[in-house]
Amino acid sequence: MNKKGAILGIVVISIIIGIAAFASSPSETYDLDMARTHGDISTAMGSPILGNPLAPITIVEFGDYQCHQCYNWFHNTKPMIMRDYIETGKANLVFVDFAFLGKDSPKASQATYCADDQGKYWEYHNSLYTSQESKIDSGWANSERLKAFAFNLDLDMALFNECLDSEKYSKRIQYNSQQARDNGVRGTPGFFIVGPDDQKQIAGAQPFSVFQRIMDSMV
Amino acid sequence: MIKTTKLVFQNFKFLFLSMIIFSSMMVVLLIISEYIFLEPYFVTHIPSGTEFGFFLITAISALSALVIPMNLFRIINLKSSKQKMSGSIVGSIVGSVAGACSCGPVGFAVISTFGSVGATATAFLTNYETPLRIIAIAILIITFFTTIKSLKIECKINFQS
Repeated sequence: MNKKGAILGIVVISIIIGIAAFASSPSETYDLDMARTHGDISTAMGSPILGNPLAPITIVEFGDYQCHQCYNWFHNTKPMIMRDYIETGKANLVFVDFAFLGKDSPKASQATYCADDQGKYWEYHNSLYTSQESKIDSGWANSERLKAFAFNLDLDMALFNECLDSEKYSKRIQYNSQQARDNGVRGTPGFFIVGPDDQKQIAGAQPFSVFQRIMDSMV
Repeated sequence: MIKTTKLVFQNFKFLFLSMIIFSSMMVVLLIISEYIFLEPYFVTHIPSGTEFGFFLITAISALSALVIPMNLFRIINLKSSKQKMSGSIVGSIVGSVAGACSCGPVGFAVISTFGSVGATATAFLTNYETPLRIIAIAILIITFFTTIKSLKIECKINFQS
């Protein structure tokens, strides 16, 4: 009888612990269009669309905030794409995180979505690529610095800190990185130019002329 | 110094080897470091801010193409020891590996295969790319001068005997 009672007690305690653990685990709920795809790629968990959402071409960029080639592309090629294609409504851009380079990479990606909660995704994204330092995991993208970038953008720091410290968007980053792997991205930056009829892959921080040639052939 | 260098490279075999080493190292390193792209189109470019990296790659390729054939000449023609050969090989390898593993396919493959150890190694090679390449150039320059010196001595001995 005592044995049965002990087993029953253990079962009841286990169930209570299980329920408590489930209830206390941070839930990740996002207000997202989970059906959003561009070509073969699910961009549902990626960035907001930069530019005209109805543009005939979408550039899907897979990137890591600690990648120096992404920095090169951001500073050398992207400004011309912005000027000739995004600002003219011919194309739009979606950034999808492929955070694999160091321990600070996923945290930096999470921070961009914490900024997105306050409507400043692209401002935060730009401040990361403007402030990137050449060394991986050197501390330039640690939690304190990520919070400092948010402070400089006048974000609500209580909301931002809570979001970042709770790792609210960790699964979103994992999902995005898996999308990169599933679509055959083998390094950053990696791009897909998705046109009305087909999509083309570009690997690496290629010059503007390559993007221009592909996009002009699609319009 | 020029006479000694000429002595090696007037032999077509060593001149040809030198050209092969230079062109293959240059092309491979430029592809890995994203100065040359083969897909979707063949394109070359030197992005702003990466000029010094391009210069270091050129210097490593040129020095390797100079030093490796000279050491092979010593070993084959003068039956010398292989000791100095290691300097040129080490210099070439250090120069090639530095910066090869960054955010491109090589770095991704290393991180995917070796996990956190690979990530640490990749971060080290990326963070210290420029100093490592400068060290490699220094090793190759030292090897070049010691090779010249030993060629002068060994050739005199050979001519005398």
